[in-house]
Amino acid sequence: MNSPQWVLSTFQLVVALIGAVAASLGALVYFRRVRMERPAVGRFNGRDVVILFTLLAILPAFYLLVPRWALESLLVITYMAALSIGFQPLLRPVALWLGIGLLVGADLWFGQHALGTVFGWQVFWTENSLIVMLAAISVANLYVQGGMQLRHVAWFAAGLAIYDSIFTIGFPITNLLVRDFVGYPLFPAMGMRISFNEAIVGLGDLLVYAAFTIAAYKAYGKRALRIALVLILVFGAAMPTLSGLLINYIDARLDVIIPAQTWFGPAALLGYLWMRHRYGPERTMKEYLASTDAVRREPPAPPAMPEESTPEAVSKPVSA
Amino acid sequence: MGMVWGRRLDPDNVARLVRDALATLEEFGEPGADVGELIDGPLSDPAARLDIANRGVRRTAARLAAQTPFYERRFAAAGVKPDRLDVAGLAAIPVTVKRDLVERPEDFRCADVPPYLTTRTTGTTGRPAEIWMSRYEMDLWPALGALAGVLRGEIGPGDVMQVNVSSRATASVQLDVAVCRLVGAGCRVLGIVPPDEALESLTSATLLATTPSYLAELETAARQRGMGPADFRLRTIDVGGEVLSSSLARAARETFGMDTIRDLFAMTEVAPVTGRTCQQGHLHFDINVGLVEYLDLDSGEPAEPGALATVVVTPFFPYRDCMPVFRYDTRDVVRLPEGALTCELAAMPGVGQIVGKADQLVRLGPTDIVTPRQLVEAVEALPTRPWPARFRAAVHDGRLRLTLPHSATAGLGNADAVRHFADHGLDVDLAFVSDDEATSLRSLRCDLHETTFAGRRALIGA
Repeated sequence: MNSPQWVLSTFQLVVALIGAVAASLGALVYFRRVRMERPAVGRFNGRDVVILFTLLAILPAFYLLVPRWALESLLVITYMAALSIGFQPLLRPVALWLGIGLLVGADLWFGQHALGTVFGWQVFWTENSLIVMLAAISVANLYVQGGMQLRHVAWFAAGLAIYDSIFTIGFPITNLLVRDFVGYPLFPAMGMRISFNEAIVGLGDLLVYAAFTIAAYKAYGKRALRIALVLILVFGAAMPTLSGLLINYIDARLDVIIPAQTWFGPAALLGYLWMRHRYGPERTMKEYLASTDAVRREPPAPPAMPEESTPEAVSKPVSA
Repeated sequence: MGMVWGRRLDPDNVARLVRDALATLEEFGEPGADVGELIDGPLSDPAARLDIANRGVRRTAARLAAQTPFYERRFAAAGVKPDRLDVAGLAAIPVTVKRDLVERPEDFRCADVPPYLTTRTTGTTGRPAEIWMSRYEMDLWPALGALAGVLRGEIGPGDVMQVNVSSRATASVQLDVAVCRLVGAGCRVLGIVPPDEALESLTSATLLATTPSYLAELETAARQRGMGPADFRLRTIDVGGEVLSSSLARAARETFGMDTIRDLFAMTEVAPVTGRTCQQGHLHFDINVGLVEYLDLDSGEPAEPGALATVVVTPFFPYRDCMPVFRYDTRDVVRLPEGALTCELAAMPGVGQIVGKADQLVRLGPTDIVTPRQLVEAVEALPTRPWPARFRAAVHDGRLRLTLPHSATAGLGNADAVRHFADHGLDVDLAFVSDDEATSLRSLRCDLHETTFAGRRALIGA
């Protein structure tokens, strides 16, 4: 049973908004309050952007070529690594690994056993979305706290815009992958299902939104944060989903997936260039931490001293 | 991976690490938490230390036996199998001494390495030795030095290093220049020029590399010119090669307006093994790149805690590859600590500071030894500030006779001067020579003066 296009678009919009806002604000809260450990030497740079982009470009082939058990094993390792890196500073080892085990284990179980009903799908998506969101928050912070700058995120998003356009619209490999692999355990997306309709936001998109948010905040503070959030909500969540409505209105036979980065990538790049022009060079982590934007850990308050009454002068002036 | 497998390292990779370290500092202001592990290695674990040492000894010995005539003969004569050697078995191999290097330098050159640059020791303690370095060594050492320097905050892109060591110390000078190039710091190589000339350019330097005796000349010249902390922007002075007295160090800090004077150990023959001094005055050697032994001055056996010992160094392959030495007796003497160290570098083995060369110790009795450091400390603490210290010490009728230039005790009577030395633990008979003879009492590195046209008097008609 197919729902009308406007219902699907609205549903997609809601899911995209929830995903984008949760990842962005979650990453921001984490960024302001948690300092991750970093290696003795190393800072995220342009070379890392190229490596990241290359990995992302060959990922679809990996999905198609390796057997399911290998794919799931790789995903388990990837999520465990991402979650452990991100939440190590917050949890004791026992709680950390128990939590990761429960989250990943539940996802594997739901992916294998709970997908027979719509409710089962909704439980699976809720659980899977939680893992994916936490992973996006963790990895975005790993990159940005490791020195990734707003310009890196912007250029990365712009590159993804081209890549997504080619492999979604030109050669619809992404569409095939989504259809074939949705419902696999640890599927790399946040999503939800209503009836037979599914709306999803990919992990890559969430990662870009989270990184763009905190990189903008780190670079220029609250003023850039506001711009970044507007760009994410308009071009990352709203435009990709609403454009589906527009395309279907023009040609109702179309059934296309609109890649979010096709909209967001150019907007992110232009937004970065404008901010750079307006606000100047980006702040480094050192400058950010020294700024008033960083949440400082207050030193422990000195023990309260009992108020002592000021001793009166022994000799008082007489008839002063 | 070269560090793990003992193959040659790629100096370009280390240079890239330097660039990454600079980028890290630019972004974060400080390196990551495990920086100590990166630059000092897993030194806090004695078992790991022994394992590193055993593998280094074996690797180095095997290569030397195959590549150098001197060690091929030496290992054969000792009846040891180099590829099975370990630290416990080192006593079977006699130490290498400077005379070996001076008399048969070609026997120390590895056959599989083309020589690139030669450097000579200054010869202040006898005939100079000529040491060859390979291109690999001259690329690797500054890269390793730059990496450690950047991560420890000792040098950075905004620095200007002034080098006042003998220009003939080609390796040392070239290393300083290369470190500055890798880090993006400025480098001004002046040599041992007249102190007034060096002072003029020192006002714009942030780092000074020199010897204690030349530092003494600089400090004296600065004080005579009425210069003080406001005239300089130095943040660190590195000295080595001679004894630095606490009096001179304190005066240099006051005059040049900085806190950090790093008293380093470096020696051409055993490069790149170096030592640095902690805040409690211990000398800590970098034992990632070589083995350091402390041998009893008389027996040649490992010295006991609290005893004086000569420092014996074996630089490891792949850190040294052109003209390596094995168990090289530096004749630099240190006193071993009696208890556990509590300094900031306590994770690394440490000993007392260098007290002087073994052949410059003055033996008043079987256990009564006066070290050059004691003498330098006492002489340089005289109120006349006779810096750098010029003296001759000898045993005369069972007593220590100390010969000084007249000006060293100017204003003090003989009794006061003797009391001054007694206060420093030295029971001396004093003798004096004229000030013109001062330099003949004790050779110092600042005596290797280099002339400049600016330093000459104007010639009429020139």
